[in-house]
Amino acid sequence: MNIQKKIDVGLTIQQSAIKADQAHSLKLSGLSLELGGTPILRDISFALPVHGMNILIGPSGAGKSTLLRCLNLLHQSWQGDLHIMDKDVRTWPDGADALRRAVGLIAQKPSLFPCSIAQNVVFGLGRKARKQVSDEHIEQVLRQAALWGEVKDRLHDKALTLSVGQQQRLCIARALALAPKMLLLDEPTASLDPRSKQCIEASLLELAATMPVLCVTHDIEQAKRLGGQIIFMCDGHLIESGDSVDFFARPERIESREFLRWSVCDCS
Amino acid sequence: MLNLWMRASAWICLAVVILLLGFLVQQSWPYWQQYGFSTLFSGDWYPYEKLFGLTAAIIGSFWAALIALSIAIPTGLAAAVMSTEILSGSWRSLSRTGMELLAGIPSVVYGLLGLWVLLPLLQSSLGLLTGHNLLAAGLLLSVMVLPTIMVMAQDALSEISSEQRDAAASLGMGWSERLWRVLLPQAWPGIRSGILLALGRALGETMAVMLVVGSMDRIPEPFYNLLAPAQTLTSRIGREIGESAFGSMHFAALMACGLLLATVTITISLLAHLRADNTSVART
Ligand SMILES: Nc1ncnc2c1ncn2[C@@H]1O[C@H](COP(=O)(O)OP(=O)(O)OP(=O)(O)O)[C@@H](O)[C@H]1O
Ligand SMILES: [Mg+2]
Repeated sequence: MNIQKKIDVGLTIQQSAIKADQAHSLKLSGLSLELGGTPILRDISFALPVHGMNILIGPSGAGKSTLLRCLNLLHQSWQGDLHIMDKDVRTWPDGADALRRAVGLIAQKPSLFPCSIAQNVVFGLGRKARKQVSDEHIEQVLRQAALWGEVKDRLHDKALTLSVGQQQRLCIARALALAPKMLLLDEPTASLDPRSKQCIEASLLELAATMPVLCVTHDIEQAKRLGGQIIFMCDGHLIESGDSVDFFARPERIESREFLRWSVCDCS
Repeated sequence: MLNLWMRASAWICLAVVILLLGFLVQQSWPYWQQYGFSTLFSGDWYPYEKLFGLTAAIIGSFWAALIALSIAIPTGLAAAVMSTEILSGSWRSLSRTGMELLAGIPSVVYGLLGLWVLLPLLQSSLGLLTGHNLLAAGLLLSVMVLPTIMVMAQDALSEISSEQRDAAASLGMGWSERLWRVLLPQAWPGIRSGILLALGRALGETMAVMLVVGSMDRIPEPFYNLLAPAQTLTSRIGREIGESAFGSMHFAALMACGLLLATVTITISLLAHLRADNTSVART
């Protein structure tokens, strides 16, 4: 009897865990976007689990960056339905700005503000938080962005003197400083050397343990290393999504196979 | 060849400025010799009694420019922000064309408009004996320098890349925060040049000011009284240069006014350019 009860309890716990796994931090259905009269994104639907790594791949011009901008409401003219943490983003409490603080977006092209490195890190914080922010917090986010070692002695130098790869990592740190609940990264390691790449990947995996991370990359090897869910896009369509291991071992769609084998995709 | 030509023109421009200043110094020399700088602090300007104090006109010029800028800066900035950040394409170019048209209207037309519209309005609404005063001059000038400030601010704002705007937006910064912390600071060098140019124009504008300022040579009483007829350096020169005999002390005194104006405006535009140069070097 007692044992049976324990098993029952264990089962319900497991079930709720499964349920939690099925819960989604982001649920997108039927997103379409036109810009200047041309359809850029067509009927895209996918979901991100409450935490874990998600990789968005696809040929150049597929609409990956545009999709990330939609998720962050930088594009607002799309049709469809987007729920983040079970809340409709259109009616997000306190508006789009609060949503963007919760959903960190790191753009493809690093864009720093013309002030010091440290000031850039805390740029997104409110006035009070900027004054009270501790050096430890700055150090922590810079470490997470694999940048601390290079800038720890020059925190008050102009941020624009950094190399492009360093700027990209500073952008990651700047987004992390806001303690986002979800991260969207657009080719975060595009201009990095292998070592910094590795550091960033390790950081991202660590972050993915606690929050959903959606990362665009052109680097198939990196996509394999990061694992998680793969979302494959081409020409504004979502072609295939699924577990990384399955996707790379047994891509279902012919477009995916072509893309993986020859890095071409003809789906228009 | 082209190089030579460009160098030559640069030197010619410089030479013209120096010649001009030299001419003004030479023509006003008798004045400085006889009255020295003491007259800078005297308000009495009675050419027939050989009293040539400059203070009244200096204060007048100062007030007119101050009124003009304190109205035109906020208005011009707001208009620039409005048109670059809020209006969409066709409205933006429409507002810009409008501003450029405003900038192209001859100043005497502004003066006439001031005479017909502004003066009666001031007179009746403030219950004055006459609408000719510094306030009228300042108001009129503010309309005249508005396009300068707005167009320069617009250019400076639209130079800021869309990546910067997006970066600020994706940090969750609200509209006003983006404006104050990203857009205006980055556009500031251009805005500042616009303000300095506008200041130069406000100080140097003659025709329109002459028509509305009242041309009374006395220090405002008290000095912040903007509602009495007054005089500016430019309006004094414009009004009296025709009646002064070439080579007379009156003429020299007017030339002294001109020298003062030229020095101040040249300094201002040098400042505007120096700053612009500095920032462009810093940016590259
Ligand atoms: N503001 C815009 N107006 C019109 N078209 C746009 C706009 N932004 C992007 N596009 C178009 O949308 C398409 C997708 O662009 P996007 O930048 O999302 O591609 P991407 O998948 O990120 O490519 P890459 O891997 O090269 O970064 C492109 O054809 C582009 O021309
Ligand atoms: Mg892209």
